[in-house]
Amino acid sequence: MKIHEFVGKKILKEYGINVPESVFIKNFPPEKGIIPSVIKSQVLVGGRMKSGGVLFADNGEEFLRNTEILLKKPIKGEFPYGVLAEEKIKINHEYYISAVLNREKRSEEWIFSEEGGIEIENSENIKKGSYEEILNTVPEKFRTFLPKLKKIFNEKDLTLLEINPVAEDTSGNLTALDCVMHVDDNALFRQPWAKKFTEDDHDFHYVELDGNIGIIGCGAGIVMATMDAVKNAGYSPANFLDIGGGADKETTLNALNLLKSKNIKITVMNIFGGITKCDVIANSILEFKEINKDIKLFIRLTGTNEEEAGIILEKNNIKNYKDLDEMINALDIFLKKEVHNND
Amino acid sequence: MTEGNEKVCVQGITGKYGKFHTEKMLKYGTNIVCGVSKNSSVKEIAGVPVLNSAEDAVKIYKADTSVVFVPARFAKDAVTEAIYAGIKKIIIITEHIPIHDMIEIYSLSKEKNVKIIGPNCPGIIIPSVLKIGIMPEKAFKPGDIAIISKSGTLMYEVANQLSVNSSGIKIAIGLGGDPVTGTNVSEAFDYIIKKGIKKTVLIGEPGGNEEIKGIKHAIDKGYDGKIKTFFAGKTAPEGKTMGHAGAIVEGREGSIAYKESYLKSMGIDVSEKISDLVF
Repeated sequence: MKIHEFVGKKILKEYGINVPESVFIKNFPPEKGIIPSVIKSQVLVGGRMKSGGVLFADNGEEFLRNTEILLKKPIKGEFPYGVLAEEKIKINHEYYISAVLNREKRSEEWIFSEEGGIEIENSENIKKGSYEEILNTVPEKFRTFLPKLKKIFNEKDLTLLEINPVAEDTSGNLTALDCVMHVDDNALFRQPWAKKFTEDDHDFHYVELDGNIGIIGCGAGIVMATMDAVKNAGYSPANFLDIGGGADKETTLNALNLLKSKNIKITVMNIFGGITKCDVIANSILEFKEINKDIKLFIRLTGTNEEEAGIILEKNNIKNYKDLDEMINALDIFLKKEVHNND
Repeated sequence: MTEGNEKVCVQGITGKYGKFHTEKMLKYGTNIVCGVSKNSSVKEIAGVPVLNSAEDAVKIYKADTSVVFVPARFAKDAVTEAIYAGIKKIIIITEHIPIHDMIEIYSLSKEKNVKIIGPNCPGIIIPSVLKIGIMPEKAFKPGDIAIISKSGTLMYEVANQLSVNSSGIKIAIGLGGDPVTGTNVSEAFDYIIKKGIKKTVLIGEPGGNEEIKGIKHAIDKGYDGKIKTFFAGKTAPEGKTMGHAGAIVEGREGSIAYKESYLKSMGIDVSEKISDLVF
């Protein structure tokens, strides 16, 4: 889960890292201001600077104008949570520092560069290694800065911590000018500060896509495989929706109703039940179909209690396809017929 | 990975899933010697004695393997306890374990020479011999193919396909869908090479580059069997987690398009559909 810059900076400050003086502004007009200042849109998408999400103000008039602009302006389609106005810092030198998770080594990895700034990807002067390795190679002034970051990275359950740039001012002080933090979703139970920004309040995994065919399955792999099969047949998935293992009637109905609320008229459901009981899913489908006769469902239920599920569906004239290929074929025939009828 | 003769202890045996799957594993023939639970009011589950600590499981019942159903927030403590007790193989079924906990678990397991499989995985199965996990056994008929998978339900789907339309399963190894797993694709191949299994199906996902690394590793080690791969997640957009914490495309190398074209250029068989996975 991505964390807004202004929240990340509060944490840096708590751990004794210098950040610029700032005000966070949620509504216009602001109660307080800072001049001269850097005004930054609080969005979670990357490339904010290049998309015009950062403006400057040297006087009150500019401050108000640019704050208002940024509060209203979506960045790459994302509306800002607010804006952060910060004092301008006199910069002598910029550094780059980050900590990430290295999947292959299955450990933390620290990255440091003497050349901070937005083009870090192109810098050849990058050092990567374990925390200890990096601590031993950084300039003297980072020897007290780095342990604070290490503490934040571990104590806040971060999967990414990036400060780009760390600015050194004319008197040699280090200040974090930007801050990117990702918190591990699995650790939110012990990170209550991050929890209040969670958008996802479903009891399943849902990702919206731009197509029109709804997808529901149990297990991330099977849902992705189903999406791919729909795409392969020439159609476009509307979403990724994984009801997980052992879904009950309520979860299943919530999933179906969510897609209905997104105005999805055709949904493909692919369940291979291990922990999930197919008869429970079949009964949920019946209950949903009863009220939503206009929504077309393509169902494939197999695995635990599939016989019971088969009987329930058959009694109610709902076809249970034997595998994914057969179901996608039926979807294809149905959609081609629909196009034909509309001609 | 497994020799088929493990003495298994179930950690978290008194929970809903722990109890249900203990019964199913017993029925399958797995040698479950005991369970461990912090709930001391239960003394027995399905005829299996329930103990208070992993230490007792090793001392009294000579357990050498544990399968973990303990809830995520307590999983690190449970696994750490098992490692210090002297358990040598730990299969973690639990999902949603914090990544920092897994980093600690992994580093301790290396230090103590303990093999970890998972977390967030379906476990391992040698059809007709043993099952340490939660997979629906009906989908796994005995045969000569090894399956390596990060996904659980997709592994069932593929196993079913290989059982019905091909030569059946020798072993299926569920690695788990998290970014940090105790066993990765390369290590799974080490086992397959050691066991002389000549047919392997690898089921991949978006994110990371383990599949390519693992296959390269197998070839470097002289693996001369056939490898077939299937990837789910071609339609996964960049920067969105697709259910599994590990299934997120960050940069070009994590995308399925990149993985598939790279493997094809190596001459590896990449299947478009699950039904194409036939030896």
